[in-house]
Amino acid sequence: MGDSQYSFSLTTFSPSGKLVQIEHALMAVGSGQTSLGIKAANGVVIATEKKLPSILVDEASVQKIQLMTPNIGVVYSGMGPDSRVLVRKSRKQAQQYYRLYKETIPVTQLVRETATVMQEFTQSGGVRPFGVSLLIAGFDDSGPQLYQVDPSGSYFSWKASAMGKNVSNAKTFLEKRYTEDMELDDAVHTALLTLKEGFEGQISSKNIEIGLISTDRKFRVLTPAEIDDYLAEVE
Amino acid sequence: MEKARVDLPPKGGFSFDLCRRNEMLTKKGLQLPGFRKTGTTIVGLIFEDGVILGADTRATEGPIVADKNCEKIHYMAPNIYCCGAGTAADTEAVTDMVSSQLQLHRYATRRESRVITALTLLKSHLFSYQGHVSAALVLGGVDITGPHLHTVYPHGSTDTLPFATMGSGSLAAMAVFESKYKEGLTREDGIQLVGEAICSGIFNDLGSGSNVDVCVITKGKTDYLRNHQLPNPRTYISSRGYSFDRGHTEVLSTKITPLKLKAEVVENDAMEE
Repeated sequence: MGDSQYSFSLTTFSPSGKLVQIEHALMAVGSGQTSLGIKAANGVVIATEKKLPSILVDEASVQKIQLMTPNIGVVYSGMGPDSRVLVRKSRKQAQQYYRLYKETIPVTQLVRETATVMQEFTQSGGVRPFGVSLLIAGFDDSGPQLYQVDPSGSYFSWKASAMGKNVSNAKTFLEKRYTEDMELDDAVHTALLTLKEGFEGQISSKNIEIGLISTDRKFRVLTPAEIDDYLAEVE
Repeated sequence: MEKARVDLPPKGGFSFDLCRRNEMLTKKGLQLPGFRKTGTTIVGLIFEDGVILGADTRATEGPIVADKNCEKIHYMAPNIYCCGAGTAADTEAVTDMVSSQLQLHRYATRRESRVITALTLLKSHLFSYQGHVSAALVLGGVDITGPHLHTVYPHGSTDTLPFATMGSGSLAAMAVFESKYKEGLTREDGIQLVGEAICSGIFNDLGSGSNVDVCVITKGKTDYLRNHQLPNPRTYISSRGYSFDRGHTEVLSTKITPLKLKAEVVENDAMEE
């Protein structure tokens, strides 16, 4: 990684023991569009704002929520191009895992491998940390799972989490609304209400994206028509 | 600062490094280890709604049947399957690898995989290994451009055909196809013809045998009919058991060794009260 003239790491410790580059990366995440995830009893839902820079952008061509494997999906807050690179690497790692063990990769393993990549970029020559935090939602033999991975490479499993611009309001809202035995449909409603909280302008199926996975173990992104149905239920 | 010579990562393909040494060893009389071949009959044909693939299920190791019911029709994509003849390990490894690459490609493009994509990935890999990856494949599938059937040879050349056969039983199967194939076959007729061709290979070729596997691929649906026909049922050992009476087996020689009884008398202390 990096050419021989940059074999030293650009991420270095400050005298107080902090890695300032990672703090700055977290600022990049914090100024990105809000995204959130909720783990229900029978599935996981992830959602994000999809504010495009101009009305001229062809919004059907933009998809922020991506699939990593048939049963694991991911959403990000922060720099889009950085997330593309990570998603691509993770997809490849999932395939390599399958070819090696002939077992579909468990969610924890994929999260760990993605986090390892992100950590490597904080300790290698000539590269900078990723400016994204990822919310990884999956359903495997251990049930529904939701993980958040930060630019430093640290990851946590969450029952519900939010990231981006509106993180503090969203988290407070989720803390109040979350219940352990929530069903997936309730979780989608809660996710919509949370997004609505800090939304600038009118929320609609054109400026948000929702992805979910339930006991069928197939992650899918909802169509605008389906999002409209859920929004109507929430009104 | 002088730039040290960079070690490039290996780019794949056949490495000729050991060829000279191998030649020297074979001249000295070393025998290279053999591989398990599938000695196979695999076929494919295009019918009115799509593609039908067929294969036998015998895997041989020289004159021995190594696997009586192996799977020779490999998954490549939900709409693409591939039959493999040649070295079993090679066909498995190469189809798994391309299937993995196709999955990554599907994620990136968000589209169904095309048969031509699988074909090109296979042929590039086989060519770069100069025929040392001994995999002869019949690749078939249905994609957005229609149904396709191709054959791939170990050196990397390919053919596009309406009906194809490969493997040691290919001549027997091709004889059946050449006489009975016509365009626009129905599903039942197509499966029937594929079954006949594979059976022809099973009964007339030593390297093929056991059962018939069929895979029917149409737009939007794939039916994998594992063991569609079982023309060689196994007769099991009688559950009543066997009786081996004297006189059934010829006695060649007899040797009797009597066992000597060894008894030791030990002076014992009188037993305590």
